[in-house]
Amino acid sequence: MNPVTAIILSPVLGALVLLAVPQRREDWVRRVSAAATGIPLLFALWMVFHFPRGEAGYHWVHRLDWLPALGIQYQVGVDGISLTLLLLHTLCSFTGVLVSYRIKERVKEYFVFYLLLIGGVAGVFASLDLFFFYLFYEMAVIPMFPLIGIWGSGEKEYATMKLTLYLTAGAVLALIGLLAVYAVSGAHSFDLIFLEHFLRQNPIPVPLQRWLFPFLLIGFGVIAPMWPMHSWSPLGHAAAPSAVSMLHAGVLMKLGSYAILRIAVQLLPAGAYTWLPWVAGISIMNILYGGFVAMAQKDMKFIIGYSSSSHMGYVLLGLACLNPIGLNGAVLLMFAHGIMTATAFAAVGHIYDQTHTRVASEWGGLARQVPFIATAFIMAALASAGLPGFGNFIAELLVFFGSWNSYRWPALAAVFGIVVTAFYMLRAVRTGFFGPLNPRWAGLKDATAFERVPYLILLAALMAVGCWPKLLLDLISTSTPSVLSHLSPLKTVALL
Amino acid sequence: MTAPALATALLPEIWLSGLFALLLTLDLCWKEERSTTLGGVAAIGLLPLFPILAWQTGLGRHDLLGGMYRLDLLALFFKGIFTAATVGVILMTREMDRSIPRGHGEFYLLILSAAFGMFLAASAASFVMLFVALELISITFYVLTAYLQNNLNSLEAGMKYLVLGSLASGLLLYGTAFIYGSTGSMQFSAIEGMMSSAQSLSPALLFGLLLVIAGLLFKAAAVPFHLWVPDVYQGAPTPVTAFLSVGSKSAGFLVIFRIVQQLFIGQNAQWAPLMVWVAGLTILYGNLGAIPQRNIKRLLGYSSIGHAGYLLIGIATASRIGSTAVNFYLASYLFTNMAVFLVIAAFSRRVESDEIKAYAGLSKRSPFLAAVMFIGLLSLAGVPPLAGFFGKFLLLLGAVTEGYLVLALIGAGAVVVSLYYYLQIVYTMYAKEPQDPSPIPVSLPIRLALWVCLAAMLGLGIWQAPLLKISFAAISGS
Repeated sequence: MNPVTAIILSPVLGALVLLAVPQRREDWVRRVSAAATGIPLLFALWMVFHFPRGEAGYHWVHRLDWLPALGIQYQVGVDGISLTLLLLHTLCSFTGVLVSYRIKERVKEYFVFYLLLIGGVAGVFASLDLFFFYLFYEMAVIPMFPLIGIWGSGEKEYATMKLTLYLTAGAVLALIGLLAVYAVSGAHSFDLIFLEHFLRQNPIPVPLQRWLFPFLLIGFGVIAPMWPMHSWSPLGHAAAPSAVSMLHAGVLMKLGSYAILRIAVQLLPAGAYTWLPWVAGISIMNILYGGFVAMAQKDMKFIIGYSSSSHMGYVLLGLACLNPIGLNGAVLLMFAHGIMTATAFAAVGHIYDQTHTRVASEWGGLARQVPFIATAFIMAALASAGLPGFGNFIAELLVFFGSWNSYRWPALAAVFGIVVTAFYMLRAVRTGFFGPLNPRWAGLKDATAFERVPYLILLAALMAVGCWPKLLLDLISTSTPSVLSHLSPLKTVALL
Repeated sequence: MTAPALATALLPEIWLSGLFALLLTLDLCWKEERSTTLGGVAAIGLLPLFPILAWQTGLGRHDLLGGMYRLDLLALFFKGIFTAATVGVILMTREMDRSIPRGHGEFYLLILSAAFGMFLAASAASFVMLFVALELISITFYVLTAYLQNNLNSLEAGMKYLVLGSLASGLLLYGTAFIYGSTGSMQFSAIEGMMSSAQSLSPALLFGLLLVIAGLLFKAAAVPFHLWVPDVYQGAPTPVTAFLSVGSKSAGFLVIFRIVQQLFIGQNAQWAPLMVWVAGLTILYGNLGAIPQRNIKRLLGYSSIGHAGYLLIGIATASRIGSTAVNFYLASYLFTNMAVFLVIAAFSRRVESDEIKAYAGLSKRSPFLAAVMFIGLLSLAGVPPLAGFFGKFLLLLGAVTEGYLVLALIGAGAVVVSLYYYLQIVYTMYAKEPQDPSPIPVSLPIRLALWVCLAAMLGLGIWQAPLLKISFAAISGS
């Protein structure tokens, strides 16, 4: 069995098995879901340790002819970049299932949708065929609608509709871009590996690339979320149940920047040269605007939500550098931020389930009442603020180094963004967890031994990468040069 | 290949007529109360048509009856669609039996008569046969639409359909006269031969073509001949609405395809821009019009206009991808729309309302119905991995390949709009509390039909190759 296919199929099959499990056997529903997400995690870990470091290109490629007449094939595989993101995804989805053990209402339906979502996201990271890429992308978007609509809180009806429509709008715009690439390339193939080689030999004319690039950039930028198309995201995070927020902020948002890197930059390198400086400019808006808005929030989930769209600005800046350092930083940051934000959302969800309020000032002194959860949240907050020892620090540092030469002002803004992050994160920690304990929460329960497992997994991953970044950087830097190699001949032309 | 015997070629029509005669006799002999059995006989009697049609695919392409009747893969493909639609509609009628005040037996007979008209339309190879076939469909539908005599909406719908439909028939006939006047023939094969050698088309011929297309766009429910759709969809009995949306519309597109793409082959420049405009406007009108709707059948009426627009993209591109896409889209639309209407029928048997808000909490009252509706609506919107997605994908691919980027963007944008109104239904079903939590029973035939539709929506969406092959064969083998 190909491990990549197994990672995609396992949750989908899990969802099918769940349909056969009786509604009232909730314990079985949970066990099946944990197994269906645990197996992919094991596969991903296995691949990380067996990855042929230093060998560029895609590995564990699995190919099945699907519609040869149209040039469509089921083709999956990983390189260092997508494997890193698959590891992030499997970590977040498995811990997400564990966190979802708290769900009491309509358990079976919940896990069916959740597993479909997980299968879709895994498919996007692993696809090496544009058709299946889009197919999985939409498959990842749609289950969010019921997940937030049914099990969400607050303004869920508005939030879930807005999220679905924004993401679908981005997806269809990108689809038109993909179809146009298919049509103008003349390759008659959706095969990404083949297209990469083909377009290196027969590039699409530069003016056309400049035309097509925005379709993909804006289309995928919606989910990235690139300013000013980010407004769906904090709203969605806030309304979603904890495990969905975890997956959503932790993984789903990374789909956008990953797709820009994998498809837009690789297939339309000349377009990337024209448009990515704009992205660097926009990333300032993401970082600072997102950061300032986060400062003004009172609701914990909104703080983390805006903080997420602020930190995705760093990722975009790293992408825009188009040099190995910046790109490595961007990918590592996707990983580190995903883990950090998943931890934070899980912790906030744990408290919200009992307090039914997420307003930081109404919490007060919770560190004494729920020390474990508080510790987890504080560690996530410190990671977010770029404390050395966590993966985020290394990643952001790389982004700064990468962007310093080409984008001085955005780089300075990004450095300043760290201060902003530290400000709102530490303030959230202070008002929510320190000070006198609000007597209303005297009965609050800390995580049980079982409930601690997901936090321990996530924080261990975050610190492992922070202390030993080589673990993932070796993987990532194996693959970044080949992404950039599409660009290098162009660069010489541009300089001439 | 030698021409098959007339009886062999006409076997589906003969079978259908035989079934019609049988039902007529049984209806006379049996009491009114046995009408559900009658429906069962009709549904089962239709099933042998599938193997007959499959067997006929081996016969090749022939013009029979003095060039009036054509046997080809395209006709057989669509006859398959019509048969499946008819079976679904009959099952739906059995479910809704109580809501029809009188004349149950005749209702089944009328459905079969419309199906017969569709069969003829599929095989029509001359304008005379075409007109007869389309009139058979239309007149039957006028009666069917107004069948609920105590219901003002139904009567109004029937009247509206009659008046506007007659106008469309008039246009078609007038256009036929012009085409006959300038070519001297009613037969497709003769006209086709003339076209392929003609350098340019005379204005009279173009005018005739325009009128014919207008008459057909009425059947297809495209702008600007869409005005009847919302009222008729809302007012007609649910099985009739379903039949209109999958049967009558498919027939319209089949004929448009035959005339526009096969008859006027090589004259794309003349009509393609017109089709592009009509397609764009139809997509926009249907999808924007559906947003404020509160009645589910009316909403589906608007959405059906939108789907007609998508199908017109395929006609406008006039490419192999586009034409294959039309066939694929119609086949997947059949199962998708049938699933949605079957749910509506099963639901309204218990709750006599078509208002969307009546669907609140359906997922608790009948998880199965809600799940099928959910998947059906997603397939209508074009979400992968469902059948409706792949049809849209092919259409958009066809449009982009032919350079109609704006049309493709409109089509893609409308997916988002359609998702908005479809998902509102989903939200109502899944997240709202039901007023009356009593479960909704689903009868065995409906359950079976829904499983078939479900399997088709998922199967065709994931494993597209077989239907794609058939759809392609149908356009190229004819």
